[in-house]
Amino acid sequence: MPASAATPGSPPVPGGVTVSISRDPALVRTVRLVAAAVARRTGRDEEFVEDVRLAVGEACALLIGVSAPDGDGSDQPVTVAMQMHDGLAVDVSSDVPIAVPHPRGLDFGDTEPWALLRGLIDDFHVHQDGPTTRVSMSWPDSA
Amino acid sequence: MDLSLETRTQDGCTIVEIGGEIDVYTAPRLRDKITELVGEGSYDLVIDMEKVDFLDSTGLGVLVGGLKKVRAHDGSMRLICNQERLLKIFRITGLAKVFAIHGSQAEALAAR
Repeated sequence: MPASAATPGSPPVPGGVTVSISRDPALVRTVRLVAAAVARRTGRDEEFVEDVRLAVGEACALLIGVSAPDGDGSDQPVTVAMQMHDGLAVDVSSDVPIAVPHPRGLDFGDTEPWALLRGLIDDFHVHQDGPTTRVSMSWPDSA
Repeated sequence: MDLSLETRTQDGCTIVEIGGEIDVYTAPRLRDKITELVGEGSYDLVIDMEKVDFLDSTGLGVLVGGLKKVRAHDGSMRLICNQERLLKIFRITGLAKVFAIHGSQAEALAAR
């Protein structure tokens, strides 16, 4: 259940919410707040809202951490497309060349940065489509 | 809510009380604080996360990095966390087995 084919700079998805931020870690919190507000509209409990808030923030943080050594992608926005239809689907995407955090960007120590998303969401995929990296997450209605 | 960091010493340990959100934006401040404390010779740290509202993998990475720093000096790092939503993050990532996690400062200090 992909949220949309939204890419950075594309218009909002019908019946959903699309937020685009510059590659600034300070703005991830804003996206989390929006994600929590959208999650609440599903009528699910606060544990679900917290999972969505954490997952969306995590995906944004990981994509913001992506930066090739030569600086490719450093000025590309991160776009979050959320859609409520038979549940909640969220795509987080950015025109960055790789789908793993740059080791100089974040201090993950020995933790595997995608482990949290894998553990939080059953339906979680990372796609590389040309220059765009997309993290797709969805939560069915009755999960 | 931004990140707040307060430190004090008790029973030979340095207690770091954290409030707010530990994420990709604020985690570097926590990393700097831990680095500063270890640099000053504080090798037994108690990280009190009771007032933490949010934690992501960047924050987890900083805590793991801190644990490695104190262990390099035969020190210790104990966490105080009794919020289920944070404990869930430690369980999902397997870090609940890596860190000593306690329910209160008294419990953490008594566990030395």
